[in-house]
Amino acid sequence: MIKEIHQKLVDREITATKLISSYFEVIKEKDSQIKAFLTLTKDQALEQAEKIDEKIKKGKKINILEGIPYAVKDNMLVNGVKTTAGSKILANYTASFDATVIKKLKEQGAIVLGKTNMDEFAMGSSTENSAFFTTKNPYDLERVPGGSSGGSAASVASKMSVFALGSDTGGSIRQPASFCGVIGFKPSYGSVSRYGLIALASSLDIIGPLAQSVEDAEIIFKSITGKDQMDSTSYNLEKIHNTPYRIQNTVFGLPKEYFQERLDDKIKKAIEEVIKKIKSQGATIKEVSLPSTSYALPCYYIIMPAEASSNLARFDGIRYSPMNNYPNLHDLYFKTRGEGFGAEVRRRIVLGTYVLSSGYYDAYYKKAQQVRRLIAKEFDKVFQKVDFLITPTSPTFPFKIGEKIDDPLSMYLSDIFTVGANIVGVPAINLPCGQAGNLPINMQIIGPYLSDFSLLNITKTIEDIIL
Amino acid sequence: MDFTEIDHLLKLARIELSSQEKERIALDLENILDYVRQLQKVNTNGIEPMTGGTLLENIYREDKIDKQKQNVSKELKESASSLKDDYFKIPPIF
Repeated sequence: MIKEIHQKLVDREITATKLISSYFEVIKEKDSQIKAFLTLTKDQALEQAEKIDEKIKKGKKINILEGIPYAVKDNMLVNGVKTTAGSKILANYTASFDATVIKKLKEQGAIVLGKTNMDEFAMGSSTENSAFFTTKNPYDLERVPGGSSGGSAASVASKMSVFALGSDTGGSIRQPASFCGVIGFKPSYGSVSRYGLIALASSLDIIGPLAQSVEDAEIIFKSITGKDQMDSTSYNLEKIHNTPYRIQNTVFGLPKEYFQERLDDKIKKAIEEVIKKIKSQGATIKEVSLPSTSYALPCYYIIMPAEASSNLARFDGIRYSPMNNYPNLHDLYFKTRGEGFGAEVRRRIVLGTYVLSSGYYDAYYKKAQQVRRLIAKEFDKVFQKVDFLITPTSPTFPFKIGEKIDDPLSMYLSDIFTVGANIVGVPAINLPCGQAGNLPINMQIIGPYLSDFSLLNITKTIEDIIL
Repeated sequence: MDFTEIDHLLKLARIELSSQEKERIALDLENILDYVRQLQKVNTNGIEPMTGGTLLENIYREDKIDKQKQNVSKELKESASSLKDDYFKIPPIF
């Protein structure tokens, strides 16, 4: 998709200005129903497009991403643009710098169309936790688009943007990508700078692309990955040699724990069909075991809230938003945070406070960190036997709006197959692989730590086999 | 989880809630804690806690002023709701 548009711009079949305007036309037509966007940046976008057109007119060479329109999840900072993270507490906050990913894409000429809706502070699996509104699934408006990057997924699925950026802490790129039937790539922890991403859980968070093809996801990932001085956990992948795999020489593992309880039968059958196809192309398939799989989600629901409760301490009513007039600091803190945070955010802050508090720290937080190590060791062991893992992304099809919102625990279970990759830090990608009625069916491919380019490469091969 | 415990946690987290909201959060926390307590079954004897997702070790840099970034502090200060000289102005603590 990106390459095709790029060619059209180079061949002067279309101008960047026309391209951008046409996307705003689609947004105007569709977004009143789907509600993927929180903020549109039309003036800046058109201004940027005009400059690119002048460049093309002068016969100058343009970059592959130059003029390509994209959407940004509203927890990433775009200088001069409102950034809310889906929260009332940031309703009036305007970013004063660009996140590193935005800076990189800007330098390469990609154009921001607007900021997309999300669950408040990326806490949720449906966008129903947004303080502003719920985004609808483009395939069925009565269903959720998934979350927390639901607005980004819906905007790509309904062709309101060529691609979008999302963030993934426990599945927040892959699960909405699966609900909306698009590519969603969660890179290795540290391979993309988190500078300018509003933090949820710093040891799990990562930014990645949602796109219409694996090739597009690869182009975007290449342009956002790399070491950044502003994020000391960032890593330089370019130094790592990633071998491209041929399907005949590739060993795929099927972790049996992912194909048992809770998995919808239609999803299971569709993935089995794909496995048959890649097997007939010469791939080796092995059943493997990740015995601690069922502990990944409870482990996540201790570590993530602990880190979130600490990260969200900065929302104190003094910075980021106009201060209300309270007689003393105590009231300012307690009232700003009580009124500014929604129910799910409050729940996780209090849960995180509990597991970190004196007397419970060892029994909960330290225990979870030990279990995290156990899970990581199991992944290491499995990746000595196989090159990649194939699993479902989500156990179910997109659920109805309102279906799970009053039952936090059942909402949390939406992430049961995605959290593992975050706990361990390995890359994972959502790939659409079929359809049931009007709803998309998807699978997940997981690779070893820092194998991002190999993973994208093999996923492209599988995408071609499925099509 | 009783109200005294919830009140203590809300105080630590600096969040004010109505009593109705407190009841709800107590119930939710009970359910979630019940679920995560299954980790107690896992044998973790001698397992080193995993504190982060990266293989990187501490990286040091020179403590130098970056002239290009001097504007950033100005912009960050402008995002404050109230400033006096170079300081954030807040209500009195007591």
